[in-house]
Amino acid sequence: MTIIAEGYNCFETDKDAVGTAIFLPDPKAVISLIQSGKLKEHIVLAQGGTTTFLAPALSMGASGVITLSGAPESHLGILSREFQIPCIMTTYLLDSDARYVIGGDNDAHFGAVIEALNGKQVRLHCQDGDTGRIELL
Amino acid sequence: MAAEYLKRYDDNDPGLRFQDLVYTGNFTDMEPVPDGILGDRVMKSRAQTGVLEKVSHEAVLEEHFSIAELNDLNNYIAWNIWDVLVMRATEGASGMIPRQEYEILAVMHEFYRYPELIRMTTDEIGAQGVIDIGASARGEIGTKINCVHDWSLGAVAYGMGRCALLALEAIKPDDYIEESSTILKFMQRVNWGKRQDGWILNSQDRYRCQIHDDDLLERLQGEMHRFDEGDPNRDTLIQFNAAAELLSFLDHFDCRLGLGDTGPYPLANGNLLIVRDLFCNEEAYHWSDVCDHEDVPYCYTVVLEIDPKAMDLQEIRVNDISTTFTRPKNYIPHIAAGAVFVREKWDTPMGEIYPVPIADLAPRLTGVQNATFKLYTKLSRMCRRQLITNGMYVYYVGMILPHLRRAETYEKACTDYDLWEIDKRVSDAYYEISKRGFAEVVVPNKIFSGAGYLPFSADADLGRSKYFWS
Repeated sequence: MTIIAEGYNCFETDKDAVGTAIFLPDPKAVISLIQSGKLKEHIVLAQGGTTTFLAPALSMGASGVITLSGAPESHLGILSREFQIPCIMTTYLLDSDARYVIGGDNDAHFGAVIEALNGKQVRLHCQDGDTGRIELL
Repeated sequence: MAAEYLKRYDDNDPGLRFQDLVYTGNFTDMEPVPDGILGDRVMKSRAQTGVLEKVSHEAVLEEHFSIAELNDLNNYIAWNIWDVLVMRATEGASGMIPRQEYEILAVMHEFYRYPELIRMTTDEIGAQGVIDIGASARGEIGTKINCVHDWSLGAVAYGMGRCALLALEAIKPDDYIEESSTILKFMQRVNWGKRQDGWILNSQDRYRCQIHDDDLLERLQGEMHRFDEGDPNRDTLIQFNAAAELLSFLDHFDCRLGLGDTGPYPLANGNLLIVRDLFCNEEAYHWSDVCDHEDVPYCYTVVLEIDPKAMDLQEIRVNDISTTFTRPKNYIPHIAAGAVFVREKWDTPMGEIYPVPIADLAPRLTGVQNATFKLYTKLSRMCRRQLITNGMYVYYVGMILPHLRRAETYEKACTDYDLWEIDKRVSDAYYEISKRGFAEVVVPNKIFSGAGYLPFSADADLGRSKYFWS
């Protein structure tokens, strides 16, 4: 098993969330993914931890969610629990010391995480009460 | 043997820690304060007055607070905001709605405008009438006179509003003392009337909000559908609850005003009841027209019965922003029964609220999902300025709207007090909040860390003039 990233686990679940990670930079990308009919093939990857940005993806049944900021107490964390969609937030790479800093310049860190995950086949491990782990398949 | 979570209600139990962070606020020379039950106890112990203990009817009817009481409330509210929101503050930019920007403008707007709206309303209905606004929530579901709105009066309009204006250097700590007292007194009266146990906030009562009258709870329980193993209705209810909750967030521009939990209510079988109002279609907001088109009602109330033994529940919090958190975190698989009720409009009489069998929820779920996608598309076409303005209204109008409606002073607020106009001081601030990270960094740091809630001077006069500059 190759775990490449970790973050806050929003809720404990044995659900097997497997899919191709897809970074969604803006609402147009969200709408485009919904309209493609391929939402369920993907683990959606978003920068922010707010819920409205990913609203249609949650409503239509994304397999899993990864974010680069936020926590289980964030609105997206709450909603992922309600939908029972595995969700890992404030994700960081295990081979890097870079971490998300509130209000800081996170562009390089975000870019590195997106590059490492976008388009890759991943599995979310969300059994632990605190930490969610992302496996590269 | 008693369930583990029940120990949280023992007198000396410190509760669990839900986060590793600690709070300092104005107590820079004292030990930091943790979250949760222990944090509440520490904050009460540091108070100089009795305002954080159970308060009497007579005390609530008094017109103003003393400076010492204001400072105790200021410190407690700052801790309470940190307690419920510090982790949420990690969520960063939305990508959809500029929430930090609209929040900053709205909280300043509330601090400037709410005092006169509150004075007018109190003049119309009297102090007891304000208490009765809160009391009305005891016998109703689908009412926005609830934790998050009532908390917002003090925590947002006063606490965050004053904090943001101090950070902007638009005011000094001893400005607007009388107005601060006016807002906090209104908050105290509404919450006291709602709870009727002497406490004001859920955090003071180990995160319980057990406000509903017994006859209402019996009526709700009479419609509960119990889930046997493999019952497909269980998944239907979970999906519906989540979808309606999502739409309630979206209709309220990604803020929690669309969601209202009360409870946990202990049941005779040992389970816990959570009563959840999901406000999916607020007619005050023009963008809710897409919800009308999908026949989405004002409010769906989802009643959830949770089995605490099955989930080995360690602690449950219904916090002051109407949201339920548990340890372990995932209570959804342990929902043993549920029911859904509909309030078509905000003023639909309680007698006309009706249950919907879970087996009949499918077309309503489709309506909620369609409204969500239409609303998302609509919002994605709004420019930044429109999103900020609309979001500002959701806070500024929305947080006091239910109280004005109940007092029947909403129309007067619109016509005589220009409720929907934007104060020039706030309009001007629009151009400042994006500079030097003010909205995204400076103010959130002040608000969520507790560092920006400066105390009032001990010898300041309650009626001290505004705009004082030394």
